[in-house]
Amino acid sequence: MNTLSNFRRHTSRREALMTMSSGIGWLAFSALAQAKSGIAAKAPHSPARAKRVIFLTMRGGPSHVDLFDYKPELMARDGKTASLGRDSSGAKLFGPVHPMQQCGQSGQWMTTLYPKLAQHADDLCIINSMNTDLPNHAQAFGQMHTGSFQFVRPSIGAWTLYGLGTENENLPGFITLNPPADNGGAQNYGSAFLPAICQGTRIGGSQLPDLYAALLNKDVAPGPPMKNITPAVSREMQRAQLDLIRGLNERKMERDGVHPQIEGAIESFELAFRMQSEVPEVLDLRGEPESVLKLYGIGQGKDQFARQCLLARRMAEAGVRFIEIASPVQWDHHNRLREQLATCCTATDQPIAALLTDLKARGLLKDTLVVWAGEFGRTPYAQSGDGRDHNHKGYSIWMAGGGVKGGLTYGATDEVGHKAVLDPMHIHDWHATILHLLGLDHTRLTFNHGGRNFRLTNVSGTVAKGILA
Amino acid sequence: MSPRTSLLIAVLIAASTASGDEGISHFESKVRPVLVKHCYECHSAASGKSKGGLRLDTREAIRTGGDSGPAVVPGDPSKSLLLSAIKHTDPDLEMPPNKPRLPTSIIADLETWIKSGAPDPRTSTTHPVERPPVDLESGRQFWSYRKPLMPADHSKGIDGFIRARLAEHQLKPAPEADRITLLRRLYLDLIGLPPTPEQAAAFSRDTYEATVDELLRSPRFGERWGKHWLDVARFAESNGRESNLTFPHAWRYRDYVIDAVNADIPFDRFITEQISGDLLPARNGVEHARLLTATGFLAIGAKGLNEQNKTQFAADVADEQLDAVTRAFTASSIACARCHDHKTDPFSMEDYYALTGIFKSTTTFYGNWIDSENNNHGHLIRLPDLPRQVIPGRSLPPDRVKQLKDQLARLNADEQEQNDYIAKAKAEGKDLSGEFHKLLSNALRILWTRGGVEGQLEAVDEQGRALPLCMGAKDASKISDSPLFERGEIAHPGKVVARGFPQVFDVSAPRPNKQSGRLELARWLTHRDHPLTARVMVNRIWHHLIGTGIVRTVDNFGFSGERPSHPELLDYLAVKFMDGGWSVKAMIKEIVMSQTYRQSSASHNAPGAIESDPDNRLLSHAHRRRLDAEVIRDSMLAVSGQLDVSRRPGSLVAELDGQSVSMIDFNTKLPSDLDGTTRRSVYLPVVRDHLPDVLEQFDAANPNLVTGARDVTNVPLQALYLMNGPFVQAQAKALAQRVMNEAPSASERLQRAFALCFNRAMDDREQALIETFFKSARGDDLARFTAICQSLLASAEFRFVD
Repeated sequence: MNTLSNFRRHTSRREALMTMSSGIGWLAFSALAQAKSGIAAKAPHSPARAKRVIFLTMRGGPSHVDLFDYKPELMARDGKTASLGRDSSGAKLFGPVHPMQQCGQSGQWMTTLYPKLAQHADDLCIINSMNTDLPNHAQAFGQMHTGSFQFVRPSIGAWTLYGLGTENENLPGFITLNPPADNGGAQNYGSAFLPAICQGTRIGGSQLPDLYAALLNKDVAPGPPMKNITPAVSREMQRAQLDLIRGLNERKMERDGVHPQIEGAIESFELAFRMQSEVPEVLDLRGEPESVLKLYGIGQGKDQFARQCLLARRMAEAGVRFIEIASPVQWDHHNRLREQLATCCTATDQPIAALLTDLKARGLLKDTLVVWAGEFGRTPYAQSGDGRDHNHKGYSIWMAGGGVKGGLTYGATDEVGHKAVLDPMHIHDWHATILHLLGLDHTRLTFNHGGRNFRLTNVSGTVAKGILA
Repeated sequence: MSPRTSLLIAVLIAASTASGDEGISHFESKVRPVLVKHCYECHSAASGKSKGGLRLDTREAIRTGGDSGPAVVPGDPSKSLLLSAIKHTDPDLEMPPNKPRLPTSIIADLETWIKSGAPDPRTSTTHPVERPPVDLESGRQFWSYRKPLMPADHSKGIDGFIRARLAEHQLKPAPEADRITLLRRLYLDLIGLPPTPEQAAAFSRDTYEATVDELLRSPRFGERWGKHWLDVARFAESNGRESNLTFPHAWRYRDYVIDAVNADIPFDRFITEQISGDLLPARNGVEHARLLTATGFLAIGAKGLNEQNKTQFAADVADEQLDAVTRAFTASSIACARCHDHKTDPFSMEDYYALTGIFKSTTTFYGNWIDSENNNHGHLIRLPDLPRQVIPGRSLPPDRVKQLKDQLARLNADEQEQNDYIAKAKAEGKDLSGEFHKLLSNALRILWTRGGVEGQLEAVDEQGRALPLCMGAKDASKISDSPLFERGEIAHPGKVVARGFPQVFDVSAPRPNKQSGRLELARWLTHRDHPLTARVMVNRIWHHLIGTGIVRTVDNFGFSGERPSHPELLDYLAVKFMDGGWSVKAMIKEIVMSQTYRQSSASHNAPGAIESDPDNRLLSHAHRRRLDAEVIRDSMLAVSGQLDVSRRPGSLVAELDGQSVSMIDFNTKLPSDLDGTTRRSVYLPVVRDHLPDVLEQFDAANPNLVTGARDVTNVPLQALYLMNGPFVQAQAKALAQRVMNEAPSASERLQRAFALCFNRAMDDREQALIETFFKSARGDDLARFTAICQSLLASAEFRFVD
């Protein structure tokens, strides 16, 4: 069967619909086939600085006072009793467990555990005044993703896709790579009441909680790359089968007259067929030159995170709107902070630095917003002698590229790093700022559900103008 | 504008001003569809919205304009705000909002129209702009808060109301659908399975009513319509949210719903059982068990299980119950009034806290024990022992029970010891800060281990035999009214509000007294004068049968929802529903017997005429509909001959080890698509955030939300499922084997497959397509027939009802 002639026949039908004097056919068609089948790119509210986001999730709550928030006062008062309210009663202040240094032209303070990332200091906008509502992993993790620690709400990736559409309809517009199965699991990339197409597509199985991975001696990220992406028959056979399905559908349309849903179905099978080849292409790292693999550290020991970072670049390049990667290690260091922090930094330093280098070299960093964030930070006082407890009142994250000022340290915590005091950036403010960078006004990006206009930032959120380049 | 376009426009203007008819025709073809598609959503009577005081759906309204002035000044594009808004010339007034600018060609069309004097045939009477009825007085005037009355002229039933509106718009109804289309529609709507070729052969228009009755009597009916209710009830077998723990006993509520729907329990009674079954008298153990199980409705919601503050947890559980009850039964968003008075409906914080007291005087049994993800132990309700009772829980050897009991005693002793130690230290003024973390981790060890031990012991008797248990609700030991919490914050209690019901409703039902008030709540909801309950339910039924509600926002009857397309019809159905003893089956029969239901989905109106109703709100023809996820899967099983219609005893979820869902992907005993059975889809596990593949792909309701109307999307992931999903492949193969067994020759086999899948013969063109495929494809007969059968299952015809 000649696919091309079929395509022409199909196209001419579409043209016929477009030129129908009433325009109704075309309107109905575009409503169903485009708004519902794919999610075509849409214009932002205002000129966008970032076109896409790569979100590096550092689950567990990285210790900001050891990584980015330099506190000489905390060092000076190491071992002294903390007086930071009820939670800290009796606890001892605990200075940074590794040295910190000033990096780059900007002289930003960073841990010495991130030597490769330090070379990008002038690209990083370090925010030291983050704060969130609750010091519990699951709630804070959920709030970081959806703005709400309490209700089931759409993920920031879903909102982004809803607001901007996708640049490449052959790929999912919001991809999450091996997301953790705990802390709310799929809800963190869910679309809740937004259209289902906005939901994050999971590539790779969900991450096994570490404890179980160790117990079962299993890889933390098992599973096929993506559901139903692998054809059971040869490509040739499937093409022939697809042509048959298309023929049957076109026959049905001839009988029914205008039937936009079927037009839409034909489109979506063609899209799926292309997705079937494009997704594995994006996932296939074999074509990458040795130098790139080496840059990320692929092929050197445990390299899953390195591969994910490279995949993120490939997806960004291919037009995926929102890409999330979960840290291969968890940062919940209640004890043995010194050792554990070093392990975590070593596991993430090279791949993240390589991602920034690579994006920059390809001219992608300027319109790709790279975000490094955990759900909260850690206390300046000690727990179990050599660890730190959760701290949601003040912590650090960084962002790079996509319209943020590089080499900037924004906001500040109090003298020991406990609470955000200067330019505090609540999760809602942070979300508002990310949306702003994407050209979306967080007060206008709304969805009416059950009689109320919902937004990512609920009823608050202020764009932090100070970090805009 | 290029000279060529302006020339074109000039020509158009000349043409349109030349004749009034042509002006109208330009409006109908180029302007009205644009207004309908891009503007009516926020600026029309049908949507009930007039943003900025502006409506664009009548000639008068569009010329009068809204808060900023006239939208259209005939002949003067520069003064017409509509035009500057869609051109985005003023950054403060860009329409449609949050969307890219409309294509230049559309803007040019509207400009042409305004220049030519804005001819506009839309002369229906203008209604004053509506304001939200937030006070009681205007609330009582709002359509949905007034009690439904039987319209004076209702002699012609459903068709009378529909045809009167069609006639007003010079539209005519479509004729009855052809025999097979009608039969398929009826089967798929009523029992969610296609008719067999034999049933199709036996069917004639004369046997239509008998077929309706037969389908309503079929046990398959409850499996289809029960699922509709389970969507509304946000039914799930796990908690979801941040602590996604399983609900191994939730399936009993699922079975209760299916059985209740099959038995056609009057809907007012059905509501009463779900809200207050524990408070109703029971004649025997069977009925008692049934009534307790019904209250599972209140227990299956998503909870913030790892909330540490008990008061907050209780407030959130009550809030979830209040929200589910009011949305499910009255399509209202009263829960919005938790932190402030409702912004668009007449519900105050007093109303909210009056209802809250009822739920706070209730204990919820949900069966999750304390562990690292859960700080709030929820017990279970022990059901009476009954013959042939399904108990999927695992029994324990008696010595294991003893072990657990010993362990529990040890843990309790450990706790006592630690508490004594701390008390002693406190009394002596000894500083324990140095031991804080040791004491804390010991306390956590005791707490988390004990949770699991208690959870296991609670599910078995002294001998270790698994007990019959269910989720549900009972009155709390302490019955009390709730204070009004300022801004919804439990730290700021205000005045106490007596338990009761929202004041806007003029329903004289008894108030809560000695009991929690759930029984009174049910009596109030099902009171003959309640304006919402019956309307909401008949609208839900209408939505499922007709494809769209009379009120399209089926879960929102408030001000921000849409207005009914046929208010009198809605009231007619609501009153008839109540007068007829709240029989859901009778209501379904009334609707499917109407000509409105039976009409063809092809419009028989002239293209020009139908443009006045592009959404088919007036029902001049039937809506074509995509089948629900469950129906798609069940139909595949039916045609492949693999369908097992027996009820699944219990649920896959009841058989999982432990209570955390985060491990579900790693449980190698489970099929990866969480399916792996050939039973009906209503029995698939409903794990929040881990729905079986077919449910997830084809828009099954999100069980976190009350869902009366599902989304219908058309995305490539569905095509991938149909092309590559193991379930579809298995059904295609089974279907191929079936037709190869049942028919001798290739063409007879194909005809059989068409008869099974579509209840019709294959036509010549289709035969040619398939023969081409058959010749070109490689593989043996089975492989090629399988590919063909899969194509039939994946074709649009299979998953649409016409």
